[in-house]
Amino acid sequence: MTSEPLLAFKAGRSQRREGTNFVDAMQTKGIISLHKEDDLLHFKWTNRLTGETEEDLILFPQDASFSKVSQAPGGRTYILKFMSSNQKHFSLPKVLASGLYWHTLSSLSNERLTDSKDKFTARDEEFARNVNVLLENPEGSLTWNIASGSSTNSQVPASEQAAASSVTSSLPQLNADQLARLRELVATMASEPAPVQPTVSLSDVLTVETLSPLFTNHPDLISALFPHLPPDLPMPPSEEVLQRVIASPQFQTAVGNFDQALHTGLLGGLVRGLGLPEEAGTGVEPFLRAVQDQARREGGGSNDSGASSRDEMETD
Amino acid sequence: MDDESNGWQLTESDPGVFTELLKTLGVKLVVDDLYSLDTETLSTLQPIHALIFLFKWVSNQDERGGGSGTYDDAFPGFFAHQVVNNACATLAVLNALLNIPALKTGPELQDLLSFTTGMDAQTRGLAITSSGFLREAHNALSPPSAISLDGLHVPKTSEEAYHFVVYLPVAGSVYELDGLKRSPVRHGAHSDGGEGWTSKAREIIEARIATYPPGSLAFNLMAIHDDSLPHLQAHLRAAQSAGDDFVTAELASMISQENDKRMRWAFENSLRRHNHVGLVHALTLALAKAGLLGSVTDQAKTKLKERIEKIRKDGKMEEH
Repeated sequence: MTSEPLLAFKAGRSQRREGTNFVDAMQTKGIISLHKEDDLLHFKWTNRLTGETEEDLILFPQDASFSKVSQAPGGRTYILKFMSSNQKHFSLPKVLASGLYWHTLSSLSNERLTDSKDKFTARDEEFARNVNVLLENPEGSLTWNIASGSSTNSQVPASEQAAASSVTSSLPQLNADQLARLRELVATMASEPAPVQPTVSLSDVLTVETLSPLFTNHPDLISALFPHLPPDLPMPPSEEVLQRVIASPQFQTAVGNFDQALHTGLLGGLVRGLGLPEEAGTGVEPFLRAVQDQARREGGGSNDSGASSRDEMETD
Repeated sequence: MDDESNGWQLTESDPGVFTELLKTLGVKLVVDDLYSLDTETLSTLQPIHALIFLFKWVSNQDERGGGSGTYDDAFPGFFAHQVVNNACATLAVLNALLNIPALKTGPELQDLLSFTTGMDAQTRGLAITSSGFLREAHNALSPPSAISLDGLHVPKTSEEAYHFVVYLPVAGSVYELDGLKRSPVRHGAHSDGGEGWTSKAREIIEARIATYPPGSLAFNLMAIHDDSLPHLQAHLRAAQSAGDDFVTAELASMISQENDKRMRWAFENSLRRHNHVGLVHALTLALAKAGLLGSVTDQAKTKLKERIEKIRKDGKMEEH
């Protein structure tokens, strides 16, 4: 019986080329997940193609750490490093005893390797930081930056993190030169504040109730929505059809999925297609802020009240 | 985009979805929900070709479907094993369709039938799963995903373990086709008179439901049956020319109900196919332009906060 994961994120395996210090990302898509089963922390890797859990390691507190191998191209390679004194706790083959490599690349084409570097680093490191929280203490509480309140504490650029980090770990199979470039993840992340849970859900923003004043007081804004209705509806678009769509379980599910997708912080490319800056794809609040800005640019929202009026005054 | 489940996406078990699938497969039959198994309910849908029994799968304790059946390893019809989880709805539909005598289907389904002749159930399951045409037909009504989130909800919990079983008459006996069982299960001969095979099927299904402790089984029944519209329209014309106003009005009302249902299916299916991200953005933008987004966001924040507090409170209460 598999328990609900404490934490899960998409990741592939990487492999060190034998006799070299090259680490190659492997194609097979997978998921790293951490579970607590029978009071023991399991670190699992599940092949997303077959659904099979190909790696299931029991890790005792402080047995291992999860850190970035920053000299790897693309900067999205991580190592689960085992503390040698604890090897007796689990039956790992000798070869693997020093560490297992992983990557968080969504595609292995060269373009993505260079292109995605900055975009995803912050999200990766957030996952990695939380993995370490659990490796340290399976009862530890996870914290996420993604939907944090103000834009000022949004993600620190990868370059800054790199500059701030120092060598605090050692890997037996790497030479001194490489060690000098190895950056310990926990050290860099520890300096960041740890805000709590997401503060707003898109499913609460777009409801039949919240949208009803739009229909009663702003009929001028309604027809602009028609092009976004499904093209193959069996009836012509109208205000009534639009309200039916908003009330439908299919639309509500789509809102929920988009809300969740925003929490992954990976929607930079997608929101650009909506005429929004990439930052809008890093969380629900950044998305709402960016749409507010967009409305202002297109002329509107001038009589808004509530929290975001503060934002308006800043830009005035 | 994602290769989870070999590209087979999870679909809704909805009669409108199944009917659309049949249309894609070139089959002119209709699927409807059955809220009751009584003779009157079934009579409005006759002729019924197969019943789809969808239930939350508890365990394999019920090896032979209620104890009354026997495995028929020499089953004369089409039977395929379920080899990919998300494909179970389409697999059940195929196990039903390909055993309906003289059924008109599209060329793809005919090809599949001749291609899989002589194969064992497992190989047939693999052939279905690797058919690009079937996968596309199956996925057509899954929402297009802007981003793959499937992998983040691991592992699939038992909550999602719904299972599809088909009951239909083959060569004078009622059979249960379950893609997770070794072979089709034969439940005995049915009579051709009166209500026909569905009377026997009702006994079998009711016996099966009775083997589960009350309340432990969530299930849904659907019927694959002839499209009633052409039939109703022919009757309407006959009643009109006979000058029977009462029957004419009754038939007209049935036809209009049926058309309303098709309209609703078409509406829901177009919502299923659509990517709503553009609408989500446009609605948010309209709220902002109307000057409402700030206050709506504040309300939403309060709501989420209250939900989180409630969860915390409930969690604490459980500890006591």
